[in-house]
Amino acid sequence: MNDSIVSYLSQFPAYKSFVSAMSSAMGFDAAGIATLLVFFVACFVVVNVLALVGGLGTYAERKISADIQMRQGPNRVGPYGILQFLADGVKMISKEDLMPRNADKFLYTVAPLLCLVGVLATLAVLPFSSGFTLTDLNIGVFYLLGVSSLVGVGIFLGGYSSNSKWSMLGGMRGASQIISYEVPVTLSILAIVVLGGGLSFGTLVGAQGGLPHEWFVLHNPFTFVAFIVFFIGALAESNRAPFDLPEAESELVSGYHTEYTGMRFGFFALAEYIEVFVLCGVAAALFLGGYKVPFNLGTGEFLVNTLNVGPLLASKVGNFLQLGSFVTKTLLLYYVVIWCRWTFPRLRVDHLMVICWKYLTPIALVNLVGCAVWMWAFNGQSLFKIVFGH
Amino acid sequence: MFNEVLFLLSGLLTVFGALAVVFTKNLMHACVYLLASLFGVAGLYLTLGADFLAAAQIVVYAGGVVVLMLFAVMLTGGTVKDAGRYAMLKVPSMGNAKTFSIAALGVLVALSMTTKIILGIGRSYDASKELPAFTSTVESIGTLLVTDHVLAFEISSVLLLGALVGAVVISRPRKS
Repeated sequence: MNDSIVSYLSQFPAYKSFVSAMSSAMGFDAAGIATLLVFFVACFVVVNVLALVGGLGTYAERKISADIQMRQGPNRVGPYGILQFLADGVKMISKEDLMPRNADKFLYTVAPLLCLVGVLATLAVLPFSSGFTLTDLNIGVFYLLGVSSLVGVGIFLGGYSSNSKWSMLGGMRGASQIISYEVPVTLSILAIVVLGGGLSFGTLVGAQGGLPHEWFVLHNPFTFVAFIVFFIGALAESNRAPFDLPEAESELVSGYHTEYTGMRFGFFALAEYIEVFVLCGVAAALFLGGYKVPFNLGTGEFLVNTLNVGPLLASKVGNFLQLGSFVTKTLLLYYVVIWCRWTFPRLRVDHLMVICWKYLTPIALVNLVGCAVWMWAFNGQSLFKIVFGH
Repeated sequence: MFNEVLFLLSGLLTVFGALAVVFTKNLMHACVYLLASLFGVAGLYLTLGADFLAAAQIVVYAGGVVVLMLFAVMLTGGTVKDAGRYAMLKVPSMGNAKTFSIAALGVLVALSMTTKIILGIGRSYDASKELPAFTSTVESIGTLLVTDHVLAFEISSVLLLGALVGAVVISRPRKS
């Protein structure tokens, strides 16, 4: 079976006694039911925490943009305005749910759900730490690429079903942009798959180390370029500025969600902010060492050897350190994404396509071949190892 | 237990999605139902332990084919009412005697082949047997693609390259 949160928890005695207590209470072997229960609870926690992260993302966006533009930003609700996103959420729920009279009602209802479902389904394989990953699928990266493409369908349908010219243009731009940028993103992920030798996030993160010179981004020149290509592609796939053409407010009012109000709009916004987190997490996991912590702190070996802590406790502490490492890297990338949004002007539509097909895709192809040649020529050693020889 | 539940769920999704595709009058809705049906097929692959195939199904169909279909349907006006100027239903011509007879022959051939396959499964089916333990199929698919089936792999890549070049040639503005 794949590694998952259940297989991680099942090594602790508390979980075993919980399962045996449940078995004796229900009169049959309750291991399957307990697994289901743990997955339900874990999914519930992850989805809610990520929704919170998405909400705080809107706050961070406004605060950082205010900082960049020398303004105050939201500062009324709660300390430093940090509860602003709750106020926004309450406002969105209490807004009237409008639907244009000639809208396609079925598609209009389904579109925001498709967006949100596509993003939330990617959380299943996001490697928060070696133990807290919901499940470490053998095909993790491939699965993530597949389900996240539902977002494109959702955006397109949202634009089409609103029966408004702004929405229509935004939806068409969104769909073409997402389909196009999937190519360089997938190719640069493939370069990392060549290095790591597997499609699961566990394998790919496990092939890296805790210190920066052991990360894939500094493994060789090709992966460094692949990281940049991936990051640009990720910005475009999540419709973030400078690639936010589907919702370009100076031309299209607000693009594919022009006609949406209330919580339907909220779903689109939430999906966008969670998707940015997910893509930053993928970038951190594939290129920046993911949940790895330096000096074997993550696996707990360091604590066991120096402080004589029990191995189970040490692995628990290590898992929380890994979680901290992953979240820190992801949030730093999140900051860079917001920073990009408020410093770069928006691209023109034709420039967008030129960048994707004439620059990023050939670069990503050359990178893929380059990585394969590097692996063959230098036996998979990193540049650092070749230069410093250890 | 879980396998049976998953199989039932994805089977129902596949069948009802496909039925909805056929019976809906709106082509755009049909595309969305097709998406559901294709996800059901991915679920069926998963219950059979073909994880890579399931993910490929989602990547190719959900990510590419359905969006392209939506584009094509939208640009060709898929939701225009079928009624003509005199409120008569316009049914496009379905073909002539030749095409109908060829189609009937094709249906016969396909039917006999599927019955042969299904009968074979029915004879060898043993409900008491368990599914083999799950192993990842990624490595074996990769190895087979570049060893035993390398010719088919290369031919299909040449075919795709040809399609790509052809699309560029067709869509290029002509000189003169």
